[in-house]
Amino acid sequence: MSLLALAQASASTSTSSSSDTELDAQIDFSTMLMQRQRELSGWFGCGSKMQPDQVEDQGYYLEQFVLGVLDFSSQYGIEYSISYTAANVIGRPSKFPNYGDYPETFTMRTYGDWWQLAPSATREIQPQNLPKLATHDYIVVYFEDYVVPTEVAIFETFNPGAVIRIWAYGLTKHWTCLWEALDTDLTAPTPRNSRRFAPTLKKTTMITKTIRIDFNHSRLNYYTEIDAIMLCGRTVSGRLIQSILGEQARATKSLSPLSKMASGQMAGSITCKLQSLEFKPNFREKSDTSLHEFISNDLGKFMMDNRLEDPLASVSAPAAEAVPPGMCVTDLPFEIILKILSYLDLKSLFRVGRVSRTFYDISTHPLLYAELNLKPYWLVASSELLCTLARRATMLRKLDLSWCGGSNEISPTEFKKFLTQRGDNLTHLRLNSCKFLNASCIENVGIVCDNLIELSLRNCATDPPLLNFSCLANLKNLERLDLFQTAFDTELLLSMLEGNRKLKHLNLAFCGVSVNMDDVADHLATYNTQLVSLDLWKAHFLSARGLLAISRCSQLEELDLGWCLREASLGDGLFQLLSNCPKLRKLFLSAVRGTTERDLIHIATLGKNLEQLDLMGILNITHERIYDILVHCPKLQLLDLSFCENIMEREFDVLAEWSRQFKVDIKSSRIFDTR
Amino acid sequence: MHSLHWTSRMISRALRSSFSTLLESATGAAASKGGEGALKSASPRPHFVSVVCGFAKDNLRHKYKPGKYGEDSWFKASTEQADVMGVADGVGGWRSYGIDPGEFSSFLMRTCERLVQCSHFNPQRPVNLLAYSYCELMEQKKPILGSSTACVLILNRETKTVHTANIGDSGFMVVRQGEVVHKSEEQQHYFNTPFQLSLPPPGHGPNVLSDSPESADTMSFPVEDGDVILIATDGVFDNVPEDLMLDVLRDVEGERDPVKLQMTANSLALMARTLSLNSEFLSPFALSARRNNIQARGGKPDDITVVLATVAM
Repeated sequence: MSLLALAQASASTSTSSSSDTELDAQIDFSTMLMQRQRELSGWFGCGSKMQPDQVEDQGYYLEQFVLGVLDFSSQYGIEYSISYTAANVIGRPSKFPNYGDYPETFTMRTYGDWWQLAPSATREIQPQNLPKLATHDYIVVYFEDYVVPTEVAIFETFNPGAVIRIWAYGLTKHWTCLWEALDTDLTAPTPRNSRRFAPTLKKTTMITKTIRIDFNHSRLNYYTEIDAIMLCGRTVSGRLIQSILGEQARATKSLSPLSKMASGQMAGSITCKLQSLEFKPNFREKSDTSLHEFISNDLGKFMMDNRLEDPLASVSAPAAEAVPPGMCVTDLPFEIILKILSYLDLKSLFRVGRVSRTFYDISTHPLLYAELNLKPYWLVASSELLCTLARRATMLRKLDLSWCGGSNEISPTEFKKFLTQRGDNLTHLRLNSCKFLNASCIENVGIVCDNLIELSLRNCATDPPLLNFSCLANLKNLERLDLFQTAFDTELLLSMLEGNRKLKHLNLAFCGVSVNMDDVADHLATYNTQLVSLDLWKAHFLSARGLLAISRCSQLEELDLGWCLREASLGDGLFQLLSNCPKLRKLFLSAVRGTTERDLIHIATLGKNLEQLDLMGILNITHERIYDILVHCPKLQLLDLSFCENIMEREFDVLAEWSRQFKVDIKSSRIFDTR
Repeated sequence: MHSLHWTSRMISRALRSSFSTLLESATGAAASKGGEGALKSASPRPHFVSVVCGFAKDNLRHKYKPGKYGEDSWFKASTEQADVMGVADGVGGWRSYGIDPGEFSSFLMRTCERLVQCSHFNPQRPVNLLAYSYCELMEQKKPILGSSTACVLILNRETKTVHTANIGDSGFMVVRQGEVVHKSEEQQHYFNTPFQLSLPPPGHGPNVLSDSPESADTMSFPVEDGDVILIATDGVFDNVPEDLMLDVLRDVEGERDPVKLQMTANSLALMARTLSLNSEFLSPFALSARRNNIQARGGKPDDITVVLATVAM
């Protein structure tokens, strides 16, 4: 391949406007490429022909399985278990190509949109930020060797079709999206069969050994299960990796978040264009800061000099026909423009601010920053972004920083500063899976944000539990508290329960073996009688006494008792619960093996409002009882009868018939024993 | 004639079953030997050369499945730091409740095998392995009920010690220079009722004998090159007298050829099988029954599992 062709090929992939590249044919390509190679270090990739002095071995094709799991948002099993947990993704597939519900695979906590229909469903903050296919769950895995990725294969052994995005973390410490699902991908029906899912990845030269997979469950019929993940690609020499890492270390302050967010891949195109035109800012050293300065200060003059089009001028042109001449968007009343801009997502809002001084003033108005959701921007959220937002968000009410800070981009100090400045009026705070949280951050939350109505601290489990919740006892107005997969001290939880009498939604799933759930249940019955939803998934130490206590919360609409009360018999508990809580709409009794036939009769007679019922793994179910329940619970939409061993094989057809007749979704998965 | 035909069919089936384990142990041994050759030429890592053989009590009911003999089950695993072996014997009394006794023991052993590869595996605490495996039982969607005994043995390569944990009447024996140097004790509540890990059906909890993994008998001892280690279920220990076993085992001391080891394991299993079906012979089971004032004679028909290993350093 000739020098010129190679350069043109690479130039066209990175610039978005193709018409301008033809004009640039006069440029000295070789120097431009040398410069780009120094600036965009990720370009090195495969053995570069531009550097004849370095003897590069081409590397070999390597297929590798997962070595370890760095992070995941949720899993079905409990932490140290190897059944249905994220640790099963490690290594070779153990069950593929068999199809079935196997414990040796990775399963996530939710499926379908049943959790959105439940009483405990939350509304997303600043929903316009979310992409069309929102990510429900993710997992971050790492492999042994660095490769240039050519294929990522995901071995799905049960209900395939949840994967929507594949990301790779390069040596340049940036995440790149290697593949994204289109709408057409998801509407195509997936076969009920295990499959090796390997979509076509974007062509890239980045070097990586860390992959993140995003999942979306909304079209799934039941849980999806992943057996293994394989990364295929060409290896690169160790020397190359060292040189790139060395350059990273030497590089000055990283690209500012504003230009990173708004321009994304266009940083390359701007520098290209700027080189071709007369106005040449000196950006050889410290390219990042001077670019930022240029854009904020000199861009206006620059555009005027070169008579480049104002993109908004074309917008106002058709309006000019309908409206008397001289009228443009900026002549509209301030509040109207504010209302228009309030529909924009955060990234576009930053972009609009760079149009002109007027737009900058409007777009930085605090009313547009009353709700902030940085979850979709987890890859670029950094301390500088927090700093910038702190200046603008003086009326902050709702903040969602979930999933951010995974690679040390946000420092705890910066977060605390942000919170101290802007947190006192916060009503909703979501910090799910935030890796930068430490004890003093939580302390800060407790001290500053005393107006909190909703606090979500999912997945903040560290071993030993770092989080000091004592200051959280200061919060007195909580209505929703979410501690899914988070370790906490029982005493502190009890004091929080005593303090927050208006508590409506409480999630204590996976709270581990150290919590005495009976005490918690007693406290709930005494202090939190307005409780609407309670999630106690896998709470080992709940006994029949605890269940009796819970039954005193008469406003309950949702109760998840999955995997609790395993050995104990329920006694009178379920009967009391169903009698005292007539509003109960969702009841999950997965693997509550002590459920007797009498309990099932009670469910049929007393559960008039039940919409979602999970009876997985309960032994004493016969199909007469199921019929009872189907007949007497008119609002039932979901009935999970998986692993109910008492149901005979031949009765499954009858279940399908009833499912159609009563319009209830009946789940009945079981391990298909192939032996 | 009929019995001869029957015996030969059983032998061929046993050999087929043992053949598969022979292959894995051969490749395993070869791989570890190759590996150790690459690592240190001076002293090879301590490892087990191990083989398995066994018979189900009732061949009509249990068609052959790898990893189990009737209601007995076994596993072998190895990591960088350790070699692990174990057996489990499902308690047959559950059959009358409609529960397959082999499911519990099989699951226990398969989970031990998976847990060995986990990051939180501690090569010095086999009790932890049993405890974690037992806990995993409760995390299964498919309800697994029943009970079983268990015996797990871990060779820690670095310290050249063997750590064991035993619950119930399965056990192990270590032979060195023609003498038994270590032997496990049978744990029984009363005659023919061994200690057992169990998961009863809900509601029957207080009526069912259930011992916790912590009640296991643990032992730790150093081993030398050439030691013979036998792990077996009570089908072997109850039918074959100790001096007969010693005769067989002292022949394979220091044996590194897995084929010869397999031959010995096969003959030991066959011996146990033959004696168990003999109604006149005064087996160790009959002797201990008599000690408990029960008039018994002959062998005890039971599932037989023999895991035979020699220590190679």
